[in-house]
Amino acid sequence: MDCYSFDRIMSDYIDANLNVKTRKEADEHLSICPRCREKLTDMKAVLIELSCLPKLKTRSDFESRLMDRIAKSKEQRESGFVRAFRDYSRPISVVAAVMLLVATSIFVYTSVVIPNSPDSVPSAEIRSVAPDRTMPAPAAAAAGTQLAGAKTETELPDSNKIERPNYNNQIMMVNENK
Amino acid sequence: MDKDKIKYTDEELVKRFQNGDERAYIELVKRYKDRLLNFVYRYLNSYEQSEDVVQDTLMKLYTSAHMYREIAKFSTWIFTIAANLAKSELRRLKRRRVVSIHTMGFDDKEYEIPSDSYNPARETESNYGEKQIQQAIDTLPDQFKTVIILREVQQLSYEEISRILGISIGTVKSRINRGRLRLQKMLKDLKEQ
Repeated sequence: MDCYSFDRIMSDYIDANLNVKTRKEADEHLSICPRCREKLTDMKAVLIELSCLPKLKTRSDFESRLMDRIAKSKEQRESGFVRAFRDYSRPISVVAAVMLLVATSIFVYTSVVIPNSPDSVPSAEIRSVAPDRTMPAPAAAAAGTQLAGAKTETELPDSNKIERPNYNNQIMMVNENK
Repeated sequence: MDKDKIKYTDEELVKRFQNGDERAYIELVKRYKDRLLNFVYRYLNSYEQSEDVVQDTLMKLYTSAHMYREIAKFSTWIFTIAANLAKSELRRLKRRRVVSIHTMGFDDKEYEIPSDSYNPARETESNYGEKQIQQAIDTLPDQFKTVIILREVQQLSYEEISRILGISIGTVKSRINRGRLRLQKMLKDLKEQ
C-alpha cells in the first residue's frame, strides 16, 4: 500500500470499515510511513473537535413562537375558506339555479310535451285507429287538386283496387308485445 | 401523559399526532428542536436563520405529518426536511450575498446564543478554535458539508445519511472521506495563517 492508497481508505480505517486484509496492509504502511501516521493522528483530532462542538439550544420563547405561527396559519386557512365561500357563493347559487331550471325543463319536455305531441309514436297504450273515418287517398288527392284550382283530368282509380292500410296487424303486434 | 411521554418512541408519537393528539406533536418538538438547530446552524452559520429554518421544519411536521409512513425512521424523515430547507435557505442567502457581521459565529457579543456546553476555556486546549472549524466547514462544497455535519456533528450512521440524502452508502463513504481530507487541509492552512 502506498500513501495515495492510504489516503483513499483513511476514513474507513478510522471508522473500522476495512476488511482484515486491507486493514493489515494499512497497518503495515503506517508502521513505515511517518507522514501518514501524522496525517492519521491529525485527522482523528479534527474529528474529535467536530464531535465536541458546542451544542446549541433554541431560545426560551421558541416553542411559544412556533405555536403562535401554527395558530395563525390555522386562522388564515379557515378565514380563507370563509372568504372564498362568501365571494363565490352568489355565482355558485346562480349557476345551481340555472342548472336546476334546465334539468326541470328537460324533464318536463321529455315527460309531458313529447308524449302529448301528435307526431309522436304511440307508446304501449295503443289508441284505436279508425281507417274508415279517414278519406280515401284518391278522394283526398282529388279534393286537394280541386282546392288548388288545377284543371287536370284525373282518372279516379277504382276504389276496389286501392289497398287500404291494414292497421289490424299493427294492433295485434302491439298486443302481443303486451 | 407526562410519565407516559418518555416511553413513546418517535414513531409512536407521530402516529398519536396523526390521530389528533397535539401533545404528541409538542413532545416531538421538544425532542428535535435543538438537534435540528445544531445541524442547520453548522450548515448556515447563522443562528437567526437557523432558528427560522428549524421553525419551518417543525411547521412542515405539523401540516404534513399525515404524509409520514413508518417505512423509515422518523429522525430520517425530519432531517430530510431540515436538510432540504437548509439548502434552499443557503441558496437564497448566497443569491442575496448578504454577510452580516452579527450573524458570524460566536464573536458577536450583542447576540447571545444559548448553549449548554460552550466552554471558552476549551478554545485554548484544542488544536483548532471553534471559529476556525466553522470557517473550514463553510468552505466545503455543499455535498461534502452536509455529510460531514450529519456524520461528525450529528453522529448519524452511514445508512441514515444515505436515506436522508437519497444517495448510496458508497457515495456517502466517498464524500465523507473526501470531505474529511479537505477539512483537514483547510484547518491546517488556517492554522498556518
